[in-house]
Amino acid sequence: MARQQGWFALILALAIAAGALLTQFPLQLGLDLRGGSQLTLQVMPAGSITKIEPEQLEAVQVVLDRRINGLGVAESTLQTMGDDQLVLQLPGEQDPSRAARVLGTTALLEFRAQKEGTEEEMQGLLSLKRQAQAALKRIETTAQQDQSDALQITSQDLAPALTDLGIVVPEGSNEAEQLQLLLDAVNQRIVSLFEPAALTGKDLTTAGRQQQQNDSSWEVTMSFTREGGEAFAKLTQSIAGSGRLLGIMLDGRSISEASVGPQFSAAGITGGSASISGSFSSEEARELEVQLRGGSLPLPIEVVEVRTVGPTLGAENVRTSLVAALTGLALVAIFMVFTYRLAGVVAVMALSLYSLFNLAIYALIPVTLTLPGIAGFILSLGMAVDANVLIFERIKDELREGNTLIRSIDSGFSLALTSILDGQITTLISCAALFALGTGFVKGFAVTLGIGVTLSLFSALTCTRTLLRLLMSYPALRRASYFIPRLELPAAAS
Amino acid sequence: MVFHVSLQRLRVNKWRRQLWAATAVAVLVSLAGLTLSWITPAIGSPLRPGLEFTGGTQIQLERVCDDTCPPLTVAEITQAVVRLTLPAEGDNPSPPLNGVSVQLLDEGRLLVLRLPTLTAGQGQALVDQLVPVVGDLVSGSLAVETIGPILGKQLLFSSLISLLVSLAGIAAYITIRYDRTFAVLALLCLGHDVLITCGIFAWLGVLVGLEVNSLFAVALLTIAGYSVNDTVVVFDRIREKRTQLKGRSISEQADAAVSATLTRSVYTTFTTLLPLVALILFGGSTLFWFAVALSIGILTGAWSSITLAPTLLPLFTRR
Repeated sequence: MARQQGWFALILALAIAAGALLTQFPLQLGLDLRGGSQLTLQVMPAGSITKIEPEQLEAVQVVLDRRINGLGVAESTLQTMGDDQLVLQLPGEQDPSRAARVLGTTALLEFRAQKEGTEEEMQGLLSLKRQAQAALKRIETTAQQDQSDALQITSQDLAPALTDLGIVVPEGSNEAEQLQLLLDAVNQRIVSLFEPAALTGKDLTTAGRQQQQNDSSWEVTMSFTREGGEAFAKLTQSIAGSGRLLGIMLDGRSISEASVGPQFSAAGITGGSASISGSFSSEEARELEVQLRGGSLPLPIEVVEVRTVGPTLGAENVRTSLVAALTGLALVAIFMVFTYRLAGVVAVMALSLYSLFNLAIYALIPVTLTLPGIAGFILSLGMAVDANVLIFERIKDELREGNTLIRSIDSGFSLALTSILDGQITTLISCAALFALGTGFVKGFAVTLGIGVTLSLFSALTCTRTLLRLLMSYPALRRASYFIPRLELPAAAS
Repeated sequence: MVFHVSLQRLRVNKWRRQLWAATAVAVLVSLAGLTLSWITPAIGSPLRPGLEFTGGTQIQLERVCDDTCPPLTVAEITQAVVRLTLPAEGDNPSPPLNGVSVQLLDEGRLLVLRLPTLTAGQGQALVDQLVPVVGDLVSGSLAVETIGPILGKQLLFSSLISLLVSLAGIAAYITIRYDRTFAVLALLCLGHDVLITCGIFAWLGVLVGLEVNSLFAVALLTIAGYSVNDTVVVFDRIREKRTQLKGRSISEQADAAVSATLTRSVYTTFTTLLPLVALILFGGSTLFWFAVALSIGILTGAWSSITLAPTLLPLFTRR
């Protein structure tokens, strides 16, 4: 009895925790449920590369991520899928065609010299840029207390800086958004201070990074083609020692501004290679390296799949699948109560707990719910009841053989266990195959069905059993006829 | 429940010839459907492949209609689409549109266009240019699906591989838990369930033009996993009866096991079907055929584990 109460307390605690979890972490809905576009991009092997390595996939992802962010689409996500695919999701009613266009093209990497007579303005802009970046970083990591940074921009400075650049602040925007606006405007202004491109990414053969020997900072190295090397020498010679900067632009955005030392004023940086040092951290150097190398995408990509679902249609999908799930639950509940009476009521309670736990796990992992995923959940409802049916039928068998109710319940659970386990494991084998080999939403279905099948074991063996035993501790309920119609019972048991 | 009292006296091995004949007819009809679909020039494969396997673009639009929709025929829309020229985009010139297939659903409210592969921009351009022909569209109701030809092949390949892997996994598991005879029988039953489900969809493809998509592949895999559930319940009981009814023949042991498990086989099938019926009735168009495929698979799964596995067992066991 004490053991039952322990289990019951545990189940109750889990149910409360699951409920709390669901209010804290809302379920994540896939694009087919909330509306939006999904583009699947295939990275194609090219040249000497026949198999896509994880690093190459990541390099492509970094380049594409930057391009998409440049588009200004809200809440877009770009994730790798499998060995050679990327999935871009654009929620809401956003035009996927612009994204598809930008993703497919090769980005433009340019090396440009600063215009004459803009040194002072450039100084100011660069300092403003650093401050804005630092302030943004501070907002992102508010937990880290770092008040000593002298470069911080304060809220009071922000407004005049914005007005200076002619930016109209949108109503109700927060500090981070305003800083981002400022940063964008500063970047644009910086780009306009440079001459047209002297050489482009086509002239660059490789980029790399190395750690400097005297300190731990990193530098980024570049090598050019022969023509590129000559153009680069000419470019650097024109600005060496003048205080003007060399701008490296990616898709019209300045990613780095470097000064060229006076020692190069005679012939420029010759030899077809150059390095940019600027006390980079390992991570910063890597990012710049990837951008330089991947300014043109390291490997070509192809858009292999585009799915767009309008938000109204998505809401409709949510509504219909909710109705289907509730109807399914209700139908199963009616059947169970009608067939197994008191035990059926217990099974329905266990099934409700099962649904609650299932949803909590979706929120916790988190599983992004898609339409096939919901179908997997609804199907698993039916399968979860199977275990209860197997147990209750066994209990009936035992009752018919004249065993007492308590004994029948105990042996019903233990005798049904093997066939329940076998059935669940074969279903799990299929789920594993679907998950390992399937793509996209097939995986979603496999995950929800797999979670469902595993949980249904817990629900049938623990929840049903505990609730049933708890009820049996009330002598008034301890009647075989609550489990099985009287006429089927042998005389001895009734 | 009263009915299972009479069902419990069912002796499957006594009726095995009739049961086998019924199964054979179902299998032959299914094979005929698959073959017919294969030799039909418009289909050319055992099942009519959907967009996801062939590649292409499908656009679904919802028109603004008050009570009734302004009349519009499929021919009118087809003509209008064929006349359109879409902008070229990068290396993707405007594809020829005369292969378009148009469907009007829900009393002309819904419009489904099937086209060669379009870029996202071309798809949008097509929708914009169609507005003068079909009238205003309900905002937010657009659904566009574009599948490149590479992905279709990948999908077919990965579906087949996962089916084979899960079959092998299930066979290995049953061999370990029971023995090889049971594994062979389980695979036979499973093959029967998958074949008949495919057969019915092949017929639907030939007769009403129903296409199979990746959800159908998922349904088949789920059937493969689930239909063994019922079979295993019967196997488990046969093993138990072997020790209980030691002197009896295998047929009698199998019959006793089927009688003892019949109620639960019927009930578990029924409880799994109930949520699927809810999906068929209320789940919307995307999940409709998915739920139908699963229901067929689960029904045939119950049939094969009640009638096939226990009647074939004596044939496979020497003694």
